[in-house]
Amino acid sequence: MTSGTLAGQRPGLAQYALFLPVLVVFLGSLAFALAKSSALERDMRIAATQNMLWVVSQTQMEAHALGLAVAQQDRDNSHIERRFDLTISRLHLLGRGPQARYLEQIGHLQTVNDMAEALLELDPQIHGHDEGQHQALLDLTEALHPQINRIANDVMIEDWDRAAARLDAYRNTQRLVIFAVMAAFLAALAISWLLLRKQRQLHLADVQNLHAAKLLEQERDVALMYRDFAAIVSHQLRTPLSLIDSALHRLERKGNSVTADDVIERRAVVSDAIGRLTRLSDTVLLLARLDNEQLQADFAALDIRQVVDSAIAEAQGRHPNRKLQVSCADGLLKAKGDLHLVSHIIDNLLSNALKFSNGDRPVELRVFQQGNRVACAVTDQGDGIDACDQPHLFDRYFRGKTHKEGAGLGLALAQALAEFQGGQISFETWPGKGSVFTLWLPVA
Amino acid sequence: MKLPGKLALCLAVLLTAPALGASDTVLTLTGAIPNDEVSLTREDLLDMPQQKMVTATTVTDGRSTFEGFLIRDLLEAHEAGGDIVIARALNDYKIEIPISDFERFDVIGALFMDGEPLSPRDKGPIWIVYPRDDHPELQDIRYDTRWVWQLVSLHVQ
Repeated sequence: MTSGTLAGQRPGLAQYALFLPVLVVFLGSLAFALAKSSALERDMRIAATQNMLWVVSQTQMEAHALGLAVAQQDRDNSHIERRFDLTISRLHLLGRGPQARYLEQIGHLQTVNDMAEALLELDPQIHGHDEGQHQALLDLTEALHPQINRIANDVMIEDWDRAAARLDAYRNTQRLVIFAVMAAFLAALAISWLLLRKQRQLHLADVQNLHAAKLLEQERDVALMYRDFAAIVSHQLRTPLSLIDSALHRLERKGNSVTADDVIERRAVVSDAIGRLTRLSDTVLLLARLDNEQLQADFAALDIRQVVDSAIAEAQGRHPNRKLQVSCADGLLKAKGDLHLVSHIIDNLLSNALKFSNGDRPVELRVFQQGNRVACAVTDQGDGIDACDQPHLFDRYFRGKTHKEGAGLGLALAQALAEFQGGQISFETWPGKGSVFTLWLPVA
Repeated sequence: MKLPGKLALCLAVLLTAPALGASDTVLTLTGAIPNDEVSLTREDLLDMPQQKMVTATTVTDGRSTFEGFLIRDLLEAHEAGGDIVIARALNDYKIEIPISDFERFDVIGALFMDGEPLSPRDKGPIWIVYPRDDHPELQDIRYDTRWVWQLVSLHVQ
């Protein structure tokens, strides 16, 4: 049992290996979801920063403003130069860095570079200001308008295409993230389940261990009990046997001078010893059957008065000089029980009462009914029972401080037999005055 | 070595062709300052302590080296009060910038990019540049709009 439990714990390590893939799924899904969302955020940020249409419109506006500046009646040359610079700066902005790459994709980078080059050929800071120069600038800006317009048109279409593609990507990412989070959630559930199962197995193993330990202790107790049992019973057997032995020796020693009185005297000793042996073997047998759950009882409605009378008669036979009194309630009292077992209990209670009280004191047996129980109360006028002995009175092998004789089995067996029949033995005691032991049995 | 050097020089001349005279106003400071209005020349700005910064931008490729004055220094030098600055560009682009930006970050008015003076034909003469690479929180579209190029005036409010 114990080794089986230990062996059951060892494959635990292998079971922990189950956690690893689940954990990988959990953490992997979470990491994937996080990476995807992060990429999404970055993409949105970049997309928001790229505002090509605005840059193109700014270029358009500056080219237009330059055209207006050169077309004015009273031209301001420094104003023209500033507008020229601004237009060039916008074309430069379009022709470099991320903007240049964007335009290259939609096939307009060359257009923009050509525009900048054409404009720089008319640089007023190199060629100065005159009518022809200004006319050339006006012609050029007017020629730029439709080109820039075309670029704006294509940029808008490209932007919309990109926005649509980006929305598709966002949607896919979102779906992936939802799946990943769900996978992570399921993995977390699996981990919880595995942990719970592990814990329950451990708990079960604990319970089994505990159970095994308890069984072991019980086995030990039983072994110990049988050892005590053997020791005490063999001792109790020896006493009556040695009495019989010494009686026979005396008769032998007297040889032919044995009188009839001698024989009667020895015969009484031997018969008493045999009686004790019989009762002891009876007790031991009953106990053995009870312990092994092999005690068979013949439950019947017993006329309790009859049972008591025969027990009294038997006891009186054994103790002809003692005074035994019986008082019985009127009417028929029927108790449920086994005749042999009930007789054994009453006999035990009477023997104890006779043993633990002086020869000149009477022993009284009262039979009565209380509620749905029938009582047989045996009263002696002995010394009563010590307070420290009282809790152990029904323990097996327990013998009182003052009365060391006996196997310490009688009362234990009597109580066990009473309980076996659905009854009980209770007692009351008054030190120096005596005790009452009462057998309670269910009314039949 | 010599040819590319010459080419670069030509390009620089081309880009800075409308080289403003040292006495021309490039930046006007107005609003909550004791002098109401201050006109600053390129020389004035170059006289201030110069700060170098390497950072990427949203409109150029790679990381570039910018050089210029700290906006914080400019505001301090002219005892500017107020909480915000309205920055205006050559094309009349306008944006409000909290002065706390200049206190929290080393924001510069860049006059040079990769060693070349910024030209009005590009993003010059002054480009407000944030230390984008040093502070992740600056990599945000709300800050990107504050990178005013072709800056011409600052109005403190």
